[in-house]
Amino acid sequence: MRLVRYTYPSTRSLVPAYGTAFRNPWTGLEGEINRLFESAVGDYAGVAAPDRFPVDLYEDKDNTYVRAELPGVERADISVEMVEDYLTITAARKIKDGDKEESFSFSRSVTIPGVVQADKVAAAYENGVLTVTLPKREEAKPRKISVNVN
Amino acid sequence: MSLLNSIMPGFTRNLSNNDEEKPVSPAVKPLYEVKETSDAYGLVVQLPGVAKDGLSITSEEGTLTVRGERGWKRPAGWTSLYRESTDLPFELSLQHENAIDVDKIHAELRDGVLRVALPKTEARKPRKIAVS
Repeated sequence: MRLVRYTYPSTRSLVPAYGTAFRNPWTGLEGEINRLFESAVGDYAGVAAPDRFPVDLYEDKDNTYVRAELPGVERADISVEMVEDYLTITAARKIKDGDKEESFSFSRSVTIPGVVQADKVAAAYENGVLTVTLPKREEAKPRKISVNVN
Repeated sequence: MSLLNSIMPGFTRNLSNNDEEKPVSPAVKPLYEVKETSDAYGLVVQLPGVAKDGLSITSEEGTLTVRGERGWKRPAGWTSLYRESTDLPFELSLQHENAIDVDKIHAELRDGVLRVALPKTEARKPRKIAVS
C-alpha cells in the first residue's frame, strides 16, 4: 500500500535552482517526472495480483469503507472478519457443471488505518461488489475545538 | 503564424476533433469464458458493479459487444485511500461470424456475472446424414 502525500508547494520546489551554480541542472528532473506520473495515476496506486480480487479503500469523516469486487458469489459464502486492525474477507465460489460441483475459496486481508468500532461493522453485497462500512471510533474522528480568544 | 502554418500544416489543427472516426471511450476488458455445446455457445462475463440498466448487449456485423457501465459512483465526501479497481466501463467484443442466432440470445445478469446463451444457427448445427 502506498499513500501519496500532498506537499504544499514551497518557493523552493517551484523556482528552478538557478542560484545553486554547482548543482547539476538535471538533478530533480527524474523525481519531478515521477511526481507527475504519480499525481496522474495516484488514484490507482495498486494493481491486484491476478489471483486476488481487487479491493478499494475509502474514508469519510465518520467511516472507513472497503469495497471488494466479488462477482458471482452467494451471500452465504461471504464472511467478513475483523481482528484488531485487520479486516479479512473470505469468499467461496461454487461452480456446478452437471453432476460435478467445484468450490474454491479466496480471501484477502486489509489493514484498516485508524481505530474502528469493531462491533458496528456492516457489510452489503450488491451487483457483485461487497461494501464493508467500518465506523471510526469517536477519538479517531476529526473534531472541531473552539477556543475562546480573550 | 502563416509561415508556421505553411511549414507545418497540422500545427493549428484542433486536437479535440482531429478524426472523423467515432469517439473511442476508454474501457476495460472484463474476464470472460466461452463454452460450446453441440447447439449453443455459453458466454460468462464477470462484470462486478454493473447493474442491469447499465448493461447493453449489441450484435452488429458479426460482432457481439457487451458493454457495462458501473452503477456505483463514489459519493461526495469519500476520499480514496487505496484503489485497485477502476471506474472505467467494461467492454467486450467477440466475433461470431453470424454463427449464432441473434434473435434467440438469452442473457441473465446476477450478482455481477452475466450469462449469455448464444444458440447456433440451424445451418451451423451438427447434423447426422443418413446413408441410404
